[in-house]
Amino acid sequence: MSPGTSPPVLHAERLTKRYGRRTALEDCDLLVPRGRITGLVGPNGAGKSTLLQLACGLITPTSGRLRVLGAAPAADAAHLARVGFVAQDTPVYPSLSVAEHLRMGERLNPSWDRSLAQRRVAQAGLRVEQRAGRLSGGQRAQLALALAAAKRPELLIFDEPAAALDPLARDGFLRTVTESVAELGASAVLSSHLLADVERVCDHLVVLRDARVQLAGDVADLLAGHHLLVGARGVLDGLPAGLEVVRAEHADGLSRAVVRGGAPPPGPWTVEPLPLADLVLAYLAGHATEVIAR
Amino acid sequence: MIWLTWRQFRVPALAGAAVLGVLAAYLVRLGVEIRDARDGYLARCGAVGDCAGAAARFAGDHQNTLLILAGVFWLLPVVLGMFWGAPLVAREFEQGTHRLVWNQSVTRRRWLAVKLLVVAVAAMTVAGLASLLLTWAASPVDRVADDRFSTIVFGARDVAPVSYAVFAVVLGATVGLLVRRTVPAMAFTVVAVAAIQVAVPNVVRPQLMPPVTVSRPMTADAVNELRGLGSITGRPAVRGLTVPDAWVTGTSELLTADGRPLDAATFDDCLTRPPRVGARGLFGDTAPCLGALDLHVDVTYQPRHRYRAFQWLESALYLAAAGLLAGAGMWRIRRRVN
Repeated sequence: MSPGTSPPVLHAERLTKRYGRRTALEDCDLLVPRGRITGLVGPNGAGKSTLLQLACGLITPTSGRLRVLGAAPAADAAHLARVGFVAQDTPVYPSLSVAEHLRMGERLNPSWDRSLAQRRVAQAGLRVEQRAGRLSGGQRAQLALALAAAKRPELLIFDEPAAALDPLARDGFLRTVTESVAELGASAVLSSHLLADVERVCDHLVVLRDARVQLAGDVADLLAGHHLLVGARGVLDGLPAGLEVVRAEHADGLSRAVVRGGAPPPGPWTVEPLPLADLVLAYLAGHATEVIAR
Repeated sequence: MIWLTWRQFRVPALAGAAVLGVLAAYLVRLGVEIRDARDGYLARCGAVGDCAGAAARFAGDHQNTLLILAGVFWLLPVVLGMFWGAPLVAREFEQGTHRLVWNQSVTRRRWLAVKLLVVAVAAMTVAGLASLLLTWAASPVDRVADDRFSTIVFGARDVAPVSYAVFAVVLGATVGLLVRRTVPAMAFTVVAVAAIQVAVPNVVRPQLMPPVTVSRPMTADAVNELRGLGSITGRPAVRGLTVPDAWVTGTSELLTADGRPLDAATFDDCLTRPPRVGARGLFGDTAPCLGALDLHVDVTYQPRHRYRAFQWLESALYLAAAGLLAGAGMWRIRRRVN
């Protein structure tokens, strides 16, 4: 299937998930195309984990619909084989050795790639006879990743995989993620509350806040469609049509605004480079204007 | 999937096998002892000419041991449900590993089905072997005492223990699926299995087939065959009434000719100050006193030839319940999870 005709990785329509009276996701419409490494960012409790657990069928939606690779999540064994999931805190069986985990993967996955699994485990420096319960957090994450990758899935999903790791382990883990996705030619979705991780790994972005999708798109498109304008206080009120302020800060008579739309025309303002992190933060901040008193 | 289930189940399985080994060795020794004892009685009774008495003494010598073993067998499903059943699924939830294993290319229903099957077969094997050995070891005593069809011993012979064991582990696993924490699941399983094992022999089993009811006149001789009279509430109850070749499942109070219970005052008079006639027997003067009142009791019982049918019926009942529980677990694990 060519990327143009194949169904998207994730396709949510009015997707809603409630836990009792708490709404984790509300009326989400989302389309994540194939061939991307998608970063799912948002504060804790924004619904990232809920979306990913829905995507691998661990939970079912309250209403709405979510299609993963064109089918219902975890519909059958064949569909399970197409999606690799690395859960939050990367659970493994404490009493089973690394080798036994690989054996489990081989027995439970018809598409298992033994050499890929062994290579990943060796690269991560894991001894195969070691019990998984004795592994460090970083090693455990590497084992979980090896298990998910050796299924040779079309889509790899990571739920905050690096959140609990120290910086060094996180760096190694993220590198392995990139390598694995490239080697498999797979798509990937990973959630994180660490913007730096997402910026480093992802080329597609979904921003969640308050149970809703705030922003979604390819990183390059997002950067091309947003600009940072700096000007004297008040001049930003007269923006030309087509430009829309996402978020503005006013301090010391100077205004800084993240605006959405085409390239801003010359005016009584300067256009400054907008880092991805600042773009994301503009959407994550709850309100459009902030006055910073000094 | 079978490999993984076995690998996870290896330690509890080996522990179970070790316990079974000890129990089996004891049962074999007991079987040999019982046969030696029987041969001893048979060898001596010919000379004295009282073989029936010798056989009864032989049975009496071993009945206590066999009752204790029936108690051990009563515990078997409780222990299996607790240590093999309850942690089966609950531990996966507790360790979060369900999120790992459910994302392999195996559907959750198949995962649960294989887990249940492996543990059920293991429970069947353990209970089957233990029951086979006890049934063999006790057979010389059972042939004489003929009390297998009863509230307690019934559950420690033939196929019944196998069905109890299967039911208990499936119950434990299903409870674990709902409770999702190992220790509470174990506790609940113990209570549930124990309660069911008390309720079924006392309440359900007597009703598995319509019981036979007879009316027994309570003559002085009949009174003296009883094991006990009266109750702490003062009601005219009787205990220990037997019917030949039958399991007595219910005995009414002492009834007068018109079918009403004997009034407490008359009963108390006969019990505490009967007319002195110098009667012999277990209850002395009380027996002729009651005997003169034209009393009877209604007895319900299950004839002993129904023993086999009851074994299969009760086993089928437990296995059907296990099947229903497994089905509920399958439904549950597909519908609502995490």
